[in-house]
Amino acid sequence: MKKQRELSNDSPAPALTTEVLILPDGQILVHNLTPTFAGLLARLNPGCEQIASRITHHAAFHHEFSD
Amino acid sequence: MIEVASNEQSVGFRPHEARIPPRCGRKSTLRSALARERAKVARAALAQCRLCGHQCGVDRLAGPAGLCHAGAEARVFSAQTEVSDELELIPTFAIALSGCDLRCDFCITGGPSWNPREGAPLRLNPLVERAVAALQKGARTVMILGGEPTVHLPTALEIVAALPEDTKLVWKTNAHGSAQARELLDGLFDVWLADYKFGNDACARRLAKVPDYVRVVRENLLWANGHSELIVRHLVMPGHVGCCWRPVAEWLAAELPGVKVNLRSGFWPAWHSFKHSELRGTVSRIEGDRAWQIARGHGLNLIE
Repeated sequence: MKKQRELSNDSPAPALTTEVLILPDGQILVHNLTPTFAGLLARLNPGCEQIASRITHHAAFHHEFSD
Repeated sequence: MIEVASNEQSVGFRPHEARIPPRCGRKSTLRSALARERAKVARAALAQCRLCGHQCGVDRLAGPAGLCHAGAEARVFSAQTEVSDELELIPTFAIALSGCDLRCDFCITGGPSWNPREGAPLRLNPLVERAVAALQKGARTVMILGGEPTVHLPTALEIVAALPEDTKLVWKTNAHGSAQARELLDGLFDVWLADYKFGNDACARRLAKVPDYVRVVRENLLWANGHSELIVRHLVMPGHVGCCWRPVAEWLAAELPGVKVNLRSGFWPAWHSFKHSELRGTVSRIEGDRAWQIARGHGLNLIE
């Protein structure tokens, strides 16, 4: 479930949201993939080219997940 | 295997009398100024709204009305940097406005797409500040989407007017807008990222409750291809490769040869998919392979 978020001056920046669906065969579907979550998925499955290609396209954001 | 899913007047005003500021090259006219002027026209047009293909003609300034059930004020249900979209567009700061003119039972954001009252009121300045911060941090584009952003064209244009002139803008749409909406958008967005969901009107009517879908979408795609960069998306749906994807691929190959096409295979049985027996699961490997064969067989310019 997505959280309701406020985008007014009075509220902190909204939480980022990625939705994930893991299928019985191990396939993972993701929606609204944030750079942070892409970094997490890349670490979980370094061999996945589809996620790797998205990591390389956001090098500037990748540090969010880096140590 | 990981896949990225995608399932989406002032009183007396008459739209055909609207004086829409003409498209101007950015060298001669600032985009922000043009968007600001167009936003006023678009907001006035809500009094007899014909922004989407339904062309209801309802007065949305008086309150929520029409098939989209949207009023004059937009709400936002998501605004964040994302890397789910086409590789050439990411990272993108994606601003998702609540409300849509279609009723796709498989919509992955069905709640806020069908209900324009979901999400939070859109506060322009803080939102634009976040977009600018994302751009400074490395986002390549700002994407305005929904729901369907055409429903909230005045607000979308106000966002454009407030963004830096050199921002690469993406209009992510269901391609079901009206000629009036297209005229108001002309020259403002760098990329149209447009869905071509159904290959025939029967599936469109059954799954999205929209009549005359194919004609309207084709009209929008042809226009978009002539007025901006166009990327066409098709979400492969289980049980709809032959009836939907094949005719879409055939038409794209014949009428928009070379256009960038993103074939999305990560169907997610979301929202009201359960109402349709064929949409209760994901796309099988066999169907997925068949969809790719059709794409390659028609020589489509496939992108990721």
